[in-house]
Amino acid sequence: MKDLVHIFEFEDLLQEAANPLVKKGRDEGLKALGYTCYFMPEVLLDLPGCFSVRLRAPRSTSPEMATYYMTNRTCMYGRCLLERALEGGFNFLDAQMATETCTVTCRFQEHLQLMDVIHNPDFFCEFTDVPFKKNTNSIEHYEQQLKVHVLDKLHEKFGIDTSDEALLKAIEQHNEVCRLIQEIGSYRKLKNPTITGWEFSIIMLTTLTCPKHLIIDKLRDIAEQLKTREPDVKKNYRVKVLLTGSEEDDPDFIKLIEECGALVVADRHCYGSLPGREEIVVKEGETPLRAIARHYLETSMCPRFMEQHVMRERKQYLADLAKEYDVDGIIISQMKFCEYWSYERTIDTLIIPRDFGIPVCSIEKEYVNNAVGQLRTRFQAFVESIELKNLRKEGA
Amino acid sequence: MNKLTKFFFKIFGIFAVIYGILFAVFYFDLDGKFLFYIWEPMMIKHYDNMKRKDNTLTPYTKKENVSEDF
Amino acid sequence: MKLSEIKDTYRKLFVVEKSPEEKNKPKDLKKELKDFWYGKPHEERNLGKLYVDGTGLYKHREWRGVKDTMYYFNMIWLYNYAHMVTDIMKYGGEGPKSLVDFAKGTFRYRWMGQTYLSVMHWFDRGLEGMRGDALAASAWHYRGMVSETIRQFMCMFASDKKLHGGKTPERWNKNIAHNETVSGNIFYPFRKDLEDVALEMIPYFVSVHVNNHTVLNYIDAAQSIGLPADPCPMCQAEYGLFVLDDYPDYAPTMVTSNEACDGSVATSVLQDWFLNRPLYAMPQPMRYDDPLVQEHCQKEIEGCWKFIEEQYGVKFDWDEYVKWAKSFNKLTEFEWEKWDVAANTKYYPINGVAQALYRIYYSQDGDRPIWHEMDEHVKRIMNKTVKNKIETFPKTRHRAIAWSCAPLYYSNWCTWAYNCWGINCVINMDSLMFDQYLRTDTYEHALEDLSWFNEKAPMRAMAVGGHEHILSLFDYMERFNCDMVIMYDQLQCKGMQGIHGVFEDEFRKRNIHAIWVPHALPDKRTVSRKEIRRIINDYMTTVMRETPLDPSLLDFDDDQSW
Repeated sequence: MKDLVHIFEFEDLLQEAANPLVKKGRDEGLKALGYTCYFMPEVLLDLPGCFSVRLRAPRSTSPEMATYYMTNRTCMYGRCLLERALEGGFNFLDAQMATETCTVTCRFQEHLQLMDVIHNPDFFCEFTDVPFKKNTNSIEHYEQQLKVHVLDKLHEKFGIDTSDEALLKAIEQHNEVCRLIQEIGSYRKLKNPTITGWEFSIIMLTTLTCPKHLIIDKLRDIAEQLKTREPDVKKNYRVKVLLTGSEEDDPDFIKLIEECGALVVADRHCYGSLPGREEIVVKEGETPLRAIARHYLETSMCPRFMEQHVMRERKQYLADLAKEYDVDGIIISQMKFCEYWSYERTIDTLIIPRDFGIPVCSIEKEYVNNAVGQLRTRFQAFVESIELKNLRKEGA
Repeated sequence: MNKLTKFFFKIFGIFAVIYGILFAVFYFDLDGKFLFYIWEPMMIKHYDNMKRKDNTLTPYTKKENVSEDF
Repeated sequence: MKLSEIKDTYRKLFVVEKSPEEKNKPKDLKKELKDFWYGKPHEERNLGKLYVDGTGLYKHREWRGVKDTMYYFNMIWLYNYAHMVTDIMKYGGEGPKSLVDFAKGTFRYRWMGQTYLSVMHWFDRGLEGMRGDALAASAWHYRGMVSETIRQFMCMFASDKKLHGGKTPERWNKNIAHNETVSGNIFYPFRKDLEDVALEMIPYFVSVHVNNHTVLNYIDAAQSIGLPADPCPMCQAEYGLFVLDDYPDYAPTMVTSNEACDGSVATSVLQDWFLNRPLYAMPQPMRYDDPLVQEHCQKEIEGCWKFIEEQYGVKFDWDEYVKWAKSFNKLTEFEWEKWDVAANTKYYPINGVAQALYRIYYSQDGDRPIWHEMDEHVKRIMNKTVKNKIETFPKTRHRAIAWSCAPLYYSNWCTWAYNCWGINCVINMDSLMFDQYLRTDTYEHALEDLSWFNEKAPMRAMAVGGHEHILSLFDYMERFNCDMVIMYDQLQCKGMQGIHGVFEDEFRKRNIHAIWVPHALPDKRTVSRKEIRRIINDYMTTVMRETPLDPSLLDFDDDQSW
């Protein structure tokens, strides 16, 4: 396929948390607000006057200093973030809008409070309580938390306009990005997709880590190009897969899967677009903030949710996605030491093939992916097993 | 010594012997030794050979919303 | 069997070997008589020599002097063995017929059959070397826990479909199963009609303390179907119970919670899958200091009550709640009294293990008559020690506070630490949770306090909701007049591992003696008891430069011990 416009520029942007567009945003006088989890609505951090940066620690190696503080028995994502903070890589942040949604990222953010890590005199780190259910009580609670711990803080500290009008404007911009990502992502549903998983992950991650107003034109260009982009004459993948699991912000990992012959056509993980890039709908009679609170709780498929029907719906959601994107199998990837996904991966690995008949490849990996060889073998074997199964089916 | 006294002495004697035996069991940890060397290995064998239901076969389909509005 | 083998076995099981110095010592009849009557002085006890190698069994139980040995024999050993039979009949609800359910349960469930009869060894380990009032008061705490355990498993067995050929016993419909981390106090309003019994409290939590052999099967079972080895082993073990089908089916519904950590949240999905019955999740907010989260938490509790009403067709009973809550407050008041004595005097008669286990057990379980009965005994003893200024742990060299989550397979390490080094573990972190009075004047106040109470449950009270909670160690250290910290290092607890370095920095900055004790909750294979002792020994000799009170306890093999 012809190279996708802006893709190498986006790839470069992902090499640093403090990338040129983040610096440009700050030069424009905008406040850079860090966050780690989907439960901190990025739309609120993208209000006029500020922009959101979902934290990553690209090109990390061994997080030695962070390992002293958090030992080597915690999720490496959290440790790499702390290491990057200790190295000064997050000094561009004006605030960290924190959530206690998983233990290790929470501890990382507490370190930002405890230690004088971010060299920015105005820096503060504020926590929001996030509920474990999607019921009305939880939505009300979440809305109140977002008001007090996000909006009021931003207004108080940085004078950000948090009026309903400003929120509606932010929602509008957010929805446009969502529409574009959905459009771009929809080409993955084609029988012969015209966008690779690697390309899509780069685009998706760029939208999470750069000021949106600085990339939106580029997203439009990409969407435009995709309308006419032709797939390669010879199919260059053997099977299509859905990638699900915990935190995943490394496009090279997607590339690794695709090099093994499995095209990643759906991304249901912490930094993915399914869910994540649905438009926020403000219902009649609903305040924008209420709509945002409801949206983020209703759309999230995080294993943190505990209601019985929600826990069960998560399996169905995966199966539905697999059908919608016409995948041959699912790769369930869990960050080592992630408790939520340890359990979710185990049950998914047993339930999905048995109850929904979808082949599953279940892996555990580190944030700094040093086990490339082993994983390559696993993915190749998975691809072959699917092919064999398909051959058998054809034979029958 | 009348019959009743003899009877009481006999009862007392039996209790004294039982008490003495129990004290020996206690002091020499015979209860622990019995449980450790005889009872527990026997029970482990029993549980290891027990037929157990394969709970992973439990279906996991969608359930009615039992908790949303509470 | 050859005669020589019989002799060897006899020596191994019964003969306490003497060192050449002891053998060559001239006989001192007066001292021997004194030792017989009063028991040997602490430094001469050689408790480590009483063990049968590798097993934790005793060649003979310790001679504590006439008075304390007879107290132990009559009031602890005999008394508790007898009650382990009578309580079964009392709580089974059918008199002697209850023994049938008990026998069925014993042969059906591994956690029961392997564990129940070894209970007296659990007493032995926790009460080793203790004398007088401390022995008596600590033993009453143990007795309370055994009795309440019997009540719970008899309720399970009497209602268990699995023990009744798949039929539904009448009591099945009257039980609420709940996660062991959901406090019993939530169910007070329904106690007239329903019985609340924690699902994993007996099969997992209590049984690990008594006999840690069984839990290893559950951990292995959890991993056998693909769970990685690194999540909290407590959650793994709870999950393994389901995989091995070793849980009683005694209730039509389940109430679960997010207490204490991510692992607990994650196990809910497995509970749901394996139990396959209506499940209510009652999560507590993480940022619990925030006044704004209280209403949300209260509504979740009310949601739980509504769920129970609808599932069981019973009504919320305010008077019933008030009755139990008021009664529970008395337990809390006495707990505060105990803390006061522990913090400010040398006359506190409860050892570290009894304090920790009893506190977590009763406060998690909720109000029950047995706790009051036990508290009365302990109160009487404590009043006496305080009034007469009886130093209950006279060999104390260091007053220690134990922080973070404790090794479940070695909860009696503090008995050893006192006997060997004079480290007196005065208080531990999980004793300090649930630090909340329950008001009963109005419904609103009751709900407010109940939500606070549950937010401050074990582990989560300190481990979540902000770093200031876990760092409150230093305030408690001061409050309880401690000069040493035993820092439990639960290798699979992400929350505690995630703040490890900050503690290291603080200990150095404040010049505090802290011993890190690595462990894996119920799994002794990760870090053995011997390894824990070695770490403490090394610290005491190399850093503190102290000599042991009882050198025979420095190094011994108890690898296969219960």
